[in-house]
Amino acid sequence: MHALIIDDSRAMRMILRRIVTDLGFTCAEAGDGEQALQQIADGPRPDICMIDWNMPVMDGYTFVTRVRSQPELRDITLMMVTTESEHGQIVRALAAGAHEYVIKPFTPDAIVEKLTLLGLVRDGVPA
Amino acid sequence: MSLSPNSFAYVSALVRRETAVIYDAGKEYLVEARLLPLAREAGEADVDAYVVRIQRDLVEARKAIDALTINETSWFRDNTPYQAFSEVMLPALLTNRGATRHLRIWSAACSSGQEAYSIAMLLHELLPAGWSAEILATDVSTAMLERVTAGRYGQVEMNRGMPATRLVRYFTRVGSSWEVAPELRAMVRTQHLNLAAPFPPLPTFDVVFLRNVLIYFEMDVKCDILRRTRDLVAPDGFLLLGSSETTLEMDVPWHREPIDRVQVLRPLVPATALTGA
Amino acid sequence: MSMSMRYDEPQLADVLALIEEVWRSFVGVDEPLLPAEPDTGSVAYAATVTITGGWDGAVTLEFGVGTAEAVSARMLGLDEITEADVADAIGELVNMVGGNVKSLMPGPSALSLPVVSTGRIAHSNDTVEVCRCELSWAGLPMAASVHAHRD
Repeated sequence: MHALIIDDSRAMRMILRRIVTDLGFTCAEAGDGEQALQQIADGPRPDICMIDWNMPVMDGYTFVTRVRSQPELRDITLMMVTTESEHGQIVRALAAGAHEYVIKPFTPDAIVEKLTLLGLVRDGVPA
Repeated sequence: MSLSPNSFAYVSALVRRETAVIYDAGKEYLVEARLLPLAREAGEADVDAYVVRIQRDLVEARKAIDALTINETSWFRDNTPYQAFSEVMLPALLTNRGATRHLRIWSAACSSGQEAYSIAMLLHELLPAGWSAEILATDVSTAMLERVTAGRYGQVEMNRGMPATRLVRYFTRVGSSWEVAPELRAMVRTQHLNLAAPFPPLPTFDVVFLRNVLIYFEMDVKCDILRRTRDLVAPDGFLLLGSSETTLEMDVPWHREPIDRVQVLRPLVPATALTGA
Repeated sequence: MSMSMRYDEPQLADVLALIEEVWRSFVGVDEPLLPAEPDTGSVAYAATVTITGGWDGAVTLEFGVGTAEAVSARMLGLDEITEADVADAIGELVNMVGGNVKSLMPGPSALSLPVVSTGRIAHSNDTVEVCRCELSWAGLPMAASVHAHRD
């Protein structure tokens, strides 16, 4: 299983990287939505993207809409991980096609549970 | 004012037994820091006096363990029991309760209410029109019951086990907390209840959630609770314990019936009832 | 600890709860954040974000000598820590605390990028400190404050 972490904060990328690699995922990183789209195009295809909202160049919401507009990318699971916690914004993100949403701060357990809900992890290992 | 070695040993053993969290040598200051505010609130002179208190006071013991494990309980905790509820138990009840079209669920150590409201979410989604359900949420702690009634949860708690679609469907943000929707609140009723004491008058339940609370009791009290609970469950009803709990080696009127890897207990009907005597 | 009692400003109890949540999530539960006496030593690092819109203000974290490195090492899981690592880590911590303070206050509003300094942040005349807590983590000093913009 391969994860792509998209956040302009290096610290957050390191934290999420550790969580998913501890679970047995391989991992790549991007600092904004545009870099992330480029990585997806260049390969390898991620099974899951963990996406911050507020980023320069291309924000997470826009990234989600871009990915969901491409049918060939429909198998990629999209999980927002962001401080944005306003109810209407979460609804927007889910309506745009995000599959899951984590509000910062979060514990590693919360990420593992969300990945389990999404069917990407079962009993603590990649499904 | 520091903790005595005996107090520390007692607390370490208690926490390790109940939660697997380890407080080993060198961590005494942590226990002190975490229990001192509770000791003061409880009116005890110091942490040692508080440790004596928690050996006989279940409410304080729970608070102490929570403070020492900073435990955030999860929504749909362990997930599989709720799947078993949705996919097997509820359909069976919908078949068997056609006459009343009413279900009664008991969340028997409800703590801050995530279990009760998780069940309410499932019922809200799965109960057909014309059916109703009530969830009785009981706990020995009135502070916890107040939390259930308030129905407010912190941001970090909302990340735990809650699908985002349910978050936005059933909760609104109030400051940095999230508050449960009225349609769920309407299904949940709270009541003070000490499991170790004789039960007050209670209705017959279709499903009982008795999860992760029996661990706080000695074996003889555990058995007694399980026996008394059996009398409150319909013959075709269900009992759920915590995922690592078991009734093996216990002489209790329940039989184990696994549902998709979930240990579910069904009431054991007394032999006299079977003969129709 | 000091606080203002205006209800259109962040309340100390709420801010403290937010900081504790952020700390528990990313800096771990082994050492709690504890209330402390004001530190007499110098501020080695500070990190701040501003909030503009429905409410205007700033959230600042100050770290005494050694604190920022220890917090960052724990947060990032590193044995050796550089100044850039500290900037990344405490910048993200103040980003999360600020993001949560933002959600306490009227919106809509925007959060700035974090700014990290080696030393105190000087706040201008058009702001007033409305909330401050002196803390210690693993015996190391730090403080958090919220400033509100005043015309």
